[in-house]
Amino acid sequence: MLNHVWISLLLIGIFTAVGRDINDEVQNTYRNGLPVTAHFESVQQTASVNPSFEGEIVISAAAFNQFYNISSAVKEIRHPATLTTLTSGKQKLELKISDSSPLFWKEMAKAAGGKEKLEADVRSYNAGTGECVFAMEKVSYVKIKAVTKAALDFADTAVTISLGLIGVMALWLGIMKVGEAAGLLELLTRLMTPVTRRLFPDVPPNHPAVGAMIMNIAANMFGLNNAATPMGLKAMEELNKLNPKAGTATNAMCTFLVVNTAGLTLIPATAIAIRAGLGSADPGMIIGTSIFGAGCATVSGLIAVKLLQRLPKYKREMEVTEPEAKND
Amino acid sequence: MIEIFKSFVTFISAISIPLFILVFLGWGVYKKVKVYEVFVEGAKDGFNTAVKIIPYLVAMLFAIGVFRASGAMDVVVAVLSPVTNLIGMPAEVLPLGLLRPLSGSGSMGLMTELMKTNGPDSFIGVLASTMFGSSETTFYILAVYFGSVGIKNTRHALPAGLIADLFGMLGAVFITRVLFSL
Repeated sequence: MLNHVWISLLLIGIFTAVGRDINDEVQNTYRNGLPVTAHFESVQQTASVNPSFEGEIVISAAAFNQFYNISSAVKEIRHPATLTTLTSGKQKLELKISDSSPLFWKEMAKAAGGKEKLEADVRSYNAGTGECVFAMEKVSYVKIKAVTKAALDFADTAVTISLGLIGVMALWLGIMKVGEAAGLLELLTRLMTPVTRRLFPDVPPNHPAVGAMIMNIAANMFGLNNAATPMGLKAMEELNKLNPKAGTATNAMCTFLVVNTAGLTLIPATAIAIRAGLGSADPGMIIGTSIFGAGCATVSGLIAVKLLQRLPKYKREMEVTEPEAKND
Repeated sequence: MIEIFKSFVTFISAISIPLFILVFLGWGVYKKVKVYEVFVEGAKDGFNTAVKIIPYLVAMLFAIGVFRASGAMDVVVAVLSPVTNLIGMPAEVLPLGLLRPLSGSGSMGLMTELMKTNGPDSFIGVLASTMFGSSETTFYILAVYFGSVGIKNTRHALPAGLIADLFGMLGAVFITRVLFSL
């Protein structure tokens, strides 16, 4: 299934991007080359060599919406802008894009290469009345560019995340190794046998994998994320020692993974912190609801994993092939 | 009641790591384990494990990145929203439900956005933070955990994980509706 989901994400992504860009091109969504009329209210002159004026571009919401054929602008747009006269005599308008810029312009700036400004050619400017007719710079292939950037950026992010794990991973694997050598993991394992025997019937009850899994689940419960991952990976390593077929997930591995993805935690710390930051009257009110939600996820996930492992398709994938078929 | 529970869990979270180190290493000394040598031996694997994950995480994150950047999510939301309207789930939170298993940072941003626009204590705000708190980033965990031991055929882990995510989301909608109808 992962193969199909993976390729679907990529194909749907690329086809959607191409489709949207073709649509934008046909509709001229970004009004490339079309002039818009606005008022430029000059505030002060900054440079004397190339006369440059700081000021504001003023367009009514209705005119803005009509020009771009959208409905997102609600109030009159007053946007900081700089009007510069080049040596060639042409005039240029520069709009500094910030958080308070209209959404549509923010998207255009992002599409024009992630810059923080948009440039426009001034077709005519009447210094007396302030009437200013300008055409924005050309914006095209927005989604295709975004997809390309995302592909490269996320490949980079993946490496950063992986390498960032080295430190905590080394720390916890070291501590776990001491615990293992001292027989502490075994002790923990024996305490939890009644539960783990049911969840992981294929794993011998006193196997070190069980101890690592228990510690991972406990760490997740208490929201110790940076300790939970190394412990989970330790558990995976131990479970893999019981794996008759390298490269294929065993039933125990799938069960363990589902427990982790359901993410049962007693305090959803991230969500609470963000709620508090946004001025919630009771940031912790989601503790109960989150435990309920994650509880639903855990129970349904466990039921699903136990039912699915009985399907002939998944059983067949676990069958060990003849030794001579091994050619890696 | 909930206050006591909260301070209890906060207390455990705060002391557990030092306590953990103390108990594990202390027990090692008691059992006459050469703690420093064994620790270093174990820590050695940290680097290898992290490096082993790289190809799996690159494959997963780049596909998710392409999907998100293309704006295909809007299309999926448009297709699915009539169904989610039926179960009383506001259309605004549907993208969060779809993004939660794919991207941790992305869904966090979306949750923050929803709470900013609707208020953290509104129905949508509580629902969004509950949905965020009641699930994990399934695709990321799948790539990291299975990647670390070279598992390529993940068998039924993904469908089961997604079923868990679906029910987690439904559970969050249900409990938040109950909470707000009280």
